[in-house]
Amino acid sequence: MSKKYGVYICKGCGIGDALDIEAICDVVEEEALPCKTHDFLCSQQGVDFIKKDIEEEGTNTLVIAACSRRVNYNTFKFDGCIVERVNLREGVVWSHPRDAFPMLTEEEKEDENNFDRVQMMAEDYVRMGMARVEKVKLPEPYLLETMSKKILVMGGGITGMSAALDAAAAGYEVTIVEKEDKLGGNALKWRKQLPLQPPYENLIPPMVADKIKAVENNPKIDIYTGNVVARIAGQPGDFTVTFKKPGEKIEFDVPYPLPPEMRVDENGKELEHEALMEKYKEYNEGRRDILTLDPNGEHFGAVILAAGWRPYQPRDDEFPHLGWGASPDVVTNYQFEEMAASGKITRPSDGKEAKSVVFIQSPGAGDDADFPYTGVVTSMVALKQAQYVREDYPDGKAYIFYEHMRTSGLNENFYKAAQQDSGIFMSKGEITEVKKNGNGLAVSAKDTLLGENIGVSADLVVLGTGMLPVTYDDPTVNLAYRQGPGFRDNDLFDKYADSNFICFPYETQRTGIYAAGSVRRALSVEESMEDASGAALKAIQCLESVNRGVAVHPRSGDMTFPDFFFQRCTQCKRCTDECPFGAIDDDEKGTPKPNPTRCRRCGTCMGACPERIINFADYSIDSIGSQVKSIVVPSEDDYDEPPFRILGLVCENDAYPALDILGMHKKSFSADVRLIPVRCLGSVNVIWIKDALSQGMDGVFLLGCKHGDDYQCHFVKGSELASIRMQKIGDALSSLALEEERVAQFEVAIDDYDKIPEIINGFVEQVEELGPNPFKGF
Amino acid sequence: MADKYLVQPDIDFINKVRANGGESLKKCFQCATCSVACPIAPDRKPFPRKEMIAASWGLKDKLLCSPDIWLCHNCGDCSTLCPRGAKPGDVMASLRMMAINEYATPKSVANAVNDRKKLPLLIALPAIVFIVLGLILKMLGINWLNFSPERIHGEIAHAQFFSTWLVDLVFIPLSIWAVAVFALGLKRFIADMHKNAVAEGKTDKETIDVKGFLSALVRVIPQILKHNKFSECSENNDRATPHMMVLFSFIGLLIVTGVFFITLYVFGIHGPYSQLNPIKILANISGIALIIGAALLIRQRMNKPDEVSTYKDWYLLWLVLGLGVTGMLAELTRLADAAFLTYLIYFIHLMLVFHLIAFLPFSKLAHLVYRTVAMAYNEYSGREAKKA
Repeated sequence: MSKKYGVYICKGCGIGDALDIEAICDVVEEEALPCKTHDFLCSQQGVDFIKKDIEEEGTNTLVIAACSRRVNYNTFKFDGCIVERVNLREGVVWSHPRDAFPMLTEEEKEDENNFDRVQMMAEDYVRMGMARVEKVKLPEPYLLETMSKKILVMGGGITGMSAALDAAAAGYEVTIVEKEDKLGGNALKWRKQLPLQPPYENLIPPMVADKIKAVENNPKIDIYTGNVVARIAGQPGDFTVTFKKPGEKIEFDVPYPLPPEMRVDENGKELEHEALMEKYKEYNEGRRDILTLDPNGEHFGAVILAAGWRPYQPRDDEFPHLGWGASPDVVTNYQFEEMAASGKITRPSDGKEAKSVVFIQSPGAGDDADFPYTGVVTSMVALKQAQYVREDYPDGKAYIFYEHMRTSGLNENFYKAAQQDSGIFMSKGEITEVKKNGNGLAVSAKDTLLGENIGVSADLVVLGTGMLPVTYDDPTVNLAYRQGPGFRDNDLFDKYADSNFICFPYETQRTGIYAAGSVRRALSVEESMEDASGAALKAIQCLESVNRGVAVHPRSGDMTFPDFFFQRCTQCKRCTDECPFGAIDDDEKGTPKPNPTRCRRCGTCMGACPERIINFADYSIDSIGSQVKSIVVPSEDDYDEPPFRILGLVCENDAYPALDILGMHKKSFSADVRLIPVRCLGSVNVIWIKDALSQGMDGVFLLGCKHGDDYQCHFVKGSELASIRMQKIGDALSSLALEEERVAQFEVAIDDYDKIPEIINGFVEQVEELGPNPFKGF
Repeated sequence: MADKYLVQPDIDFINKVRANGGESLKKCFQCATCSVACPIAPDRKPFPRKEMIAASWGLKDKLLCSPDIWLCHNCGDCSTLCPRGAKPGDVMASLRMMAINEYATPKSVANAVNDRKKLPLLIALPAIVFIVLGLILKMLGINWLNFSPERIHGEIAHAQFFSTWLVDLVFIPLSIWAVAVFALGLKRFIADMHKNAVAEGKTDKETIDVKGFLSALVRVIPQILKHNKFSECSENNDRATPHMMVLFSFIGLLIVTGVFFITLYVFGIHGPYSQLNPIKILANISGIALIIGAALLIRQRMNKPDEVSTYKDWYLLWLVLGLGVTGMLAELTRLADAAFLTYLIYFIHLMLVFHLIAFLPFSKLAHLVYRTVAMAYNEYSGREAKKA
């Protein structure tokens, strides 16, 4: 497209009062671009003013210098036009009010050594906006050649069946694959079920049979029982899935990447590509490579992973103080449920009636944590199973010792109802010992609500053990992805299929695969059904985004995708390795094979690429690089005491909004800083930092999300990768004879706006102490 | 590991506590708001939180012997502030009633007194006792029950109808019985109470020294008379005055009865007394105070639908009101010269007095004795003086 530029400066919201608009227009006109001003650009007249140029002049590349791009988004959206929003309001005049940063008086203006920091800032931002629009293109969607809108549901338990029914109700074709010979999963093994609706007080008969019937009678749902997924190849919208019988070995079983110890030679040195390929083939003998598609595979557009859980079976020596392993009358809640479902509750040791049952919710031993892999559901199950004791024996006694009694929401009513039973006794407390006592057991507890150490005689002790996600044992999804068949770094989530439980529910680390139910967290039937709806909607969102060639999440609707300039690729595989979502595979030679519909458009590959050959239509090495280069860096040639120039590369997910909030609160920070929003810190290519420093800027900082175990990065690994790259940049800086302290990375959360001035000003002071960049003026 | 207490929940006990007015018991989730809210709980091992968990776990052995259930004056502050509606005040009341049952012998009488269905039987009992005894004596030629009573100097005298001898023939043994039942109960109660206090660290005393205990009792009695603790309540504070009226009228009437007893049997002076006699004035004032006090207490209970009022509460309150009303009416009808009416009312009055004395160790009224002893024990134990 041939670009016709137009720069529009709004004078509203205090911009016109705080800045010399004419001077800004001069900056625009220096670039030979038309500059227009308006008092109230977001008003109907203002928008019409722009539209008139679009229609009459053919203007299609707009720089709108007004408010933040996070507000008035739809107002300044013009079809077919490239639009850059220069943030003069929140970013310049609101965050740098004139009472703190006074304008130059007429007298001061006389002296050429005086300068107005805020005016300089506004002018730089307009320059940066103009530089960007020159370099970006209008995005065109990536469309699949063939697209399937069928949804594959892995797991035929409560969650899988609910998800299938929900997706079918929304009009989508669904296939359920279940490894057992019949549908139902763990829910088939219960005596009774927790309540599903108000008043949430009483147990109900299991509803799994109704679900099975509904699924079997639904014409939109296909059911493959006695089957598992051998591999899922391809990308969202175009997955090729191979099914097999459990335990069977077939050529389309998914290959595994080489484990780290096989990737190195005797000296610990990484092997050459050819050697690696050879080992890889050897390692995966009998399995076809990931890029070979099964000609008999079935096509699906999205996958719902509802493969569920298996009971946590403690090791024989895991809880000796609880009598586990020593007495057959110490059982898990799962074993107890099986017993309850098959008849009256008895002692496994001698088959006698078990009238006194102790339910233990926490293993204790000085730790108040519950058993691993538990949740609200395990508290609820203890309350449920205590009622079985009372159902079976009018003089039965059920004791529940807990560190946490978790009954969320209206389930509190269930707790209250169970509490009313005269034979159910509950106390917070730590179990210190369970030992044999005649034919029964003696349970000792401390720190109880009774205020003393107590002993209880029990016939049976039930441990409130957890629910292990199936992903604990096995990748399950068996993705034919270069990064491996499962979810990467899943230890961070205790092997639950999760990526961020709070911010991005259902989304796994693989686009198009949505987890629901107990594979995601230990959940009850009620919670699993709600989860199933969530995951079904996510799967539908995926299909309805992929078909239009836009990103699914978190950059929903983004039409750009990474574009590789392969001629210059050195097959270093960094993009393949670093992509947090496994979107890139590579072929035998190591050349990356992008899968655009797996991509979340974070730009981590762009940040990783040492050859800088990965770019997006509207976000590229060159577009940001040009913005950096357009910043005017004053030197001693310009002023006796030139101001410092510091570049901030700011994550647009949390840090940039926090900066806007800061502006709205009229809080300020150094006016010598220039900020550029980036998609994710993971997309920051170190070349930008080198460019900035070599053109004389005094320091560069990255402002983004928290990383580590409780990361807040919207792209899982972006901020972490950035921090690794920042550590490595030290060498490059020392080769330029620059101090490492000139580059830093800071973490903020979206609500940390009040901390930002301290962070930025602290960095500015640190750089000022180092003195000006020696490259200034070259 | 330190000593541990072997928990042996008694489900039957829990169900009884719930049936006796503590239905809400199991709602407790042990937040301890009650113990904090209670204006009269001691700092050291305060109640009623610990009683709530012990009761919901059916730990009868920790509760019925505890002095703490008696230290509670049923202020109701705890019940008002309880976030779960567990009404600790009502639970404590239920526990007290069960403690009275526990320490009373024979159990059959205790069960009958607290069983609504047995009320007709209990009402019939004194009538039968008096009439049968009177008729037997008649057959033996002793005319202590006279169905056509003569007047003395033209005035009605209740003793002509129901001889004082007959009345006392019944009431003296009955009083001895009541004292004996109490004595037996208290012997166990005091021993149990001490054992419980030692076990739960509510006292530093190892044994009960009789002199020390009695001196504690002497210290406590003025407090009881002044209703010191009762007045600290906020929720049920309005009960303190009527309760005090009832207590003092009973004391007044006890004095009157004692004086009359002595004048009759020692000096041989018969009633009725002149209305100007100071003893008579005391009797009349006490009677009126009894009626007003009882009526106010009944009204206050009726106005508190949130608080559980059970048969045990109503039985005692209506008995007290009945005593006062029949006593005063018997006097008024006598003065009004309504012979039949006054004899009838007098007869009913005697039946009620029978209830009061015979069932004292079994009814809620036994709190008079148990609470006094428990408060004396608490004073003796030194629990309040020493902060935990």
